[in-house]
Amino acid sequence: MTAAARPLPVALLLPGQGSQHPRMAAGLYGHEPVFTAAMDEFFDAAGPEGGPLREDWLAERPATDMDHVTRSQPLLFAVDHALGRLLLSRGVRPAALLGHSIGELASATLAGVFGLRDATGLVLDRVRRLAEAPPGGMLAVAASTAEVTPYLSGDVVVGAVNAPRQTVLAGPDGPLDKVDRTLREAGFTCRRVPSLSAFHSPVLEPACRGAAERFAAVDRSAPSVPVHSAYTAAPLTGSDIDDPAFWARQPVAPVLFWPALEGLLATGDHLLVEVGPGQGLSQVARRHPAVRRGTSAVVSLLPARPGPPETDRSALEAAMARIETAGHPPDRPTARPPDRRTAGPPDRLTA
Amino acid sequence: MSAFTMEDLFRIMRECAGEEEAVDLSSAAAEQEFSVLGYDSLALMEAISRVERGFGVELPEDTLGEALTPAAFVDAVNAALAGRTPAVEAAG
Repeated sequence: MTAAARPLPVALLLPGQGSQHPRMAAGLYGHEPVFTAAMDEFFDAAGPEGGPLREDWLAERPATDMDHVTRSQPLLFAVDHALGRLLLSRGVRPAALLGHSIGELASATLAGVFGLRDATGLVLDRVRRLAEAPPGGMLAVAASTAEVTPYLSGDVVVGAVNAPRQTVLAGPDGPLDKVDRTLREAGFTCRRVPSLSAFHSPVLEPACRGAAERFAAVDRSAPSVPVHSAYTAAPLTGSDIDDPAFWARQPVAPVLFWPALEGLLATGDHLLVEVGPGQGLSQVARRHPAVRRGTSAVVSLLPARPGPPETDRSALEAAMARIETAGHPPDRPTARPPDRRTAGPPDRLTA
Repeated sequence: MSAFTMEDLFRIMRECAGEEEAVDLSSAAAEQEFSVLGYDSLALMEAISRVERGFGVELPEDTLGEALTPAAFVDAVNAALAGRTPAVEAAG
């Protein structure tokens, strides 16, 4: 593949719950200055909770389970955001962002809707609330939403639509186990998602009450590039951004990732770059007809499976090489004047 | 001739993933890891279960761990089918 005359615009995919693992992206910490500074900025903004968060992030065996809401959510947010900053520093200028679950807050922060300090406070507020919620879990089912709907019962709902036949259910442990058994008996393939909370289900509703006041209290700006929301399956609008309840309800509302990805790719072909641990969103995106046909493409910044720290670094360099080959040189061409007329597609994300 | 072909596998994978549009995967796809083709372990688990039901064969527990590529998967199914055939003939 050679650099096309008009390279594919880059869209970042930011993963959420389920993608976390111990020491995710930690191989870049201390090696990539921009990533390291962004992580440190997050830990600093987290105040007294920053130290324990960093210790658990870097530990082979964290004191608090990485699948626990108090670890998975803030660290996924921080890692997604810091990887995005790293990409920007390497000269990549995304034309669109799409985050899954907590990844949407990271997207909005990268696009300047929230400042990092405010967003960190909002994430920690969310986590404190969710930690109080009744225990629950999530179950991935190889089936469409329509196929699983007849089996739902109790507080078990569709929490995420990841792909045409990858639906994630969420609910309290007991009822979720029951639905799991029933689905397996009916011949469906199911797998538990690493989560100790029933994200994107009404079980979390009481815990999220009051969160809107926190969102209402922080400055919000228009995004510098389109942020495609997995809650509306459309780009964030001014009224979404203005509405504190839109943000406060995100842990309760279902994630419509596939419809949002379809919406993003309906605007044109993109080079989709997964900016977060693992390759979960990349795998799903590879099933999209535009990627199958080869008109859109997928690059993952990090390895598919956890490994030694140097694999994070080699995966990053391999990904950067692919992004460059796709027509996005690592630095802005110095010969070109910073003229909007020649700058082409959206080019305004500030690092 | 193989009893279970690459075309069989790709058709089943498409069904598992709910891909409406049949886009031909290149011949190189047979040697690529499933994850690169967009099939995660959940889709693979379902593919195994569909192959077992559709072809009347029991695949070893470690098929998922060992067969990272479609080519390896097809070989594993054919090995299982070959192992089964004599028993069926003997019974008949």
